[in-house]
Amino acid sequence: MSAYPKSHNPFADDDEEEDSKPRRGFNFDEDPEESSLSPAERRQRQLQQEVMRTARSAVDSSHRSLGLIYESEKVGSETAEELIRQGEALKRTEKMIDNMEQDMRTSQRHINTIKSVWGGMVNYFKGKPEPPKPAQKEQPVSYEANSRLQNALAESKQQEDKYQASHPNLRKLDTAGFGASASLDNGPSDQNGYPKNKQLRAAHQQLDSNLDEMSLGLGRLKNLGLGLQAEIDDQDASLDALLNKVDTMDGKIASTNRQLKNLK
Amino acid sequence: MDNSGKEKEAIQLMAEADKKVKSSGSFLGGMFGGNHKVEEACEMYARAANMFKMAKNWSAAGNAFCQAARIHMQLQNKHDSATSYVDAGNAFKKADPQEAIKCLNAAIDIYTDMGRFTIAAKHHITIAEVYESELVDIEKAIAHYEQAADYYKGEESNSSANKCLLKVASYSAQLEQYPKAIEIYEQVGTNTMDNPLLKYSAKEYFFKASLCHFIVDELNAKLAVGKYEEMFPAFSDSRECKLLKKLLEAHEEQNAEAFTEAVKEFDSISRLDQWHTTMLLRIKKTIQGDEGDLK
Repeated sequence: MSAYPKSHNPFADDDEEEDSKPRRGFNFDEDPEESSLSPAERRQRQLQQEVMRTARSAVDSSHRSLGLIYESEKVGSETAEELIRQGEALKRTEKMIDNMEQDMRTSQRHINTIKSVWGGMVNYFKGKPEPPKPAQKEQPVSYEANSRLQNALAESKQQEDKYQASHPNLRKLDTAGFGASASLDNGPSDQNGYPKNKQLRAAHQQLDSNLDEMSLGLGRLKNLGLGLQAEIDDQDASLDALLNKVDTMDGKIASTNRQLKNLK
Repeated sequence: MDNSGKEKEAIQLMAEADKKVKSSGSFLGGMFGGNHKVEEACEMYARAANMFKMAKNWSAAGNAFCQAARIHMQLQNKHDSATSYVDAGNAFKKADPQEAIKCLNAAIDIYTDMGRFTIAAKHHITIAEVYESELVDIEKAIAHYEQAADYYKGEESNSSANKCLLKVASYSAQLEQYPKAIEIYEQVGTNTMDNPLLKYSAKEYFFKASLCHFIVDELNAKLAVGKYEEMFPAFSDSRECKLLKKLLEAHEEQNAEAFTEAVKEFDSISRLDQWHTTMLLRIKKTIQGDEGDLK
């Protein structure tokens, strides 16, 4: 009656099964000896041990996964720092190229003046090259990562709260199951079957808390990933712009060199 | 075979270049376009240095680059001079760290003179790395990292500045200069906690700051942890904060086993690196030290 090999689902169902089995199977006061176990009871014990093993391995694997998640987070945050630093470098480079462009324009004017008197007069009429925009002279704005992301983050935080609000409901079912088994425990005073249940309960609780932490960690990882993606997109765009500017600059420098050689 | 041939060539070139420089110094040479000769000599020095590099004769290469740099200075080519000094520094890094540092310092002087602080900062970092790895002079390394951080701050490159500051802090803590380390970690933590991408590292900095507080005094640590939790709510959810609270408890009860237990539990999920382990050991010693006193 008691030792049907139920499906190896170590979660809620088994608790009720296990509680009922000892009550029916064992006498209340004596410690059941190993030898006095009927084959059915031995089988039952085997199954219990099997269940414990599965639960323990589940807890271990969730432990490992948690470790991996934290490691990924660390790698991600270091990547983010590196990325931001490169973004700053890109901005600096862009500014320098703009300065170079200014200088090139000035030198072009000078060359025009040197080449011929007519060139000098043309310059006079063309007027001075626009003075560098005031923005450039001011203190360089400190680099700000994508601000769109901040809004997205605020939203996702709210989502997270709602999700967590729903999650405890799920938790309650499990603990209700535990609670039921707890009341059954207090009835019969048999010692041997229950410690397994307590251990199992502890394992399940540990597993649950690990899974919770894993879900939080994964949420953080997801946000980090989205942030990194937005930052990379931004930097992509500025790299393209930079490439264009450098190309034009290259052309200008080459032509200026040629002009200088001709002047000699 | 090819390399030794190159080396001989290089030595030849050096000799020739030396002659040119000397000859241009004399009165006659100065009259007949001495500069032109000097420029040629400069170029020859550079070529010789490259050949020495191919022959893997690093100190000779470094010397040749230094010569070239000095000549560039004479010709008022600051940029070229600085680049040559940097090349010399790189060559010397493999042979004679002291010389490398001298050359890099010279390059830095030129760059700061020209107002190119970013590049100067980069070279400060290189020097600091040499002090870290080859000469193992942590004090000087700290000084250079600090200088680099200041330059970066001046150029509004905050992330690069933060990177240098963090190195300063970790070495200061190792050398037991805790107030400095604490200040830096708190500063960086507060700066990064608002940035959506960097805030994932903020908890790490607060954790380090708390550890340093802890070594100095347990009460400080408690106040600090409370302060950080207030400033940065995400800190209280982190495992680091939970570890800190457990450690504070263990310290209050002077319970070294609970301390070790908590650390082991944390380590089982995320490995603690060398720096953390050193700090935690120091904290643990204060527990055991107290126990000894009580007995």
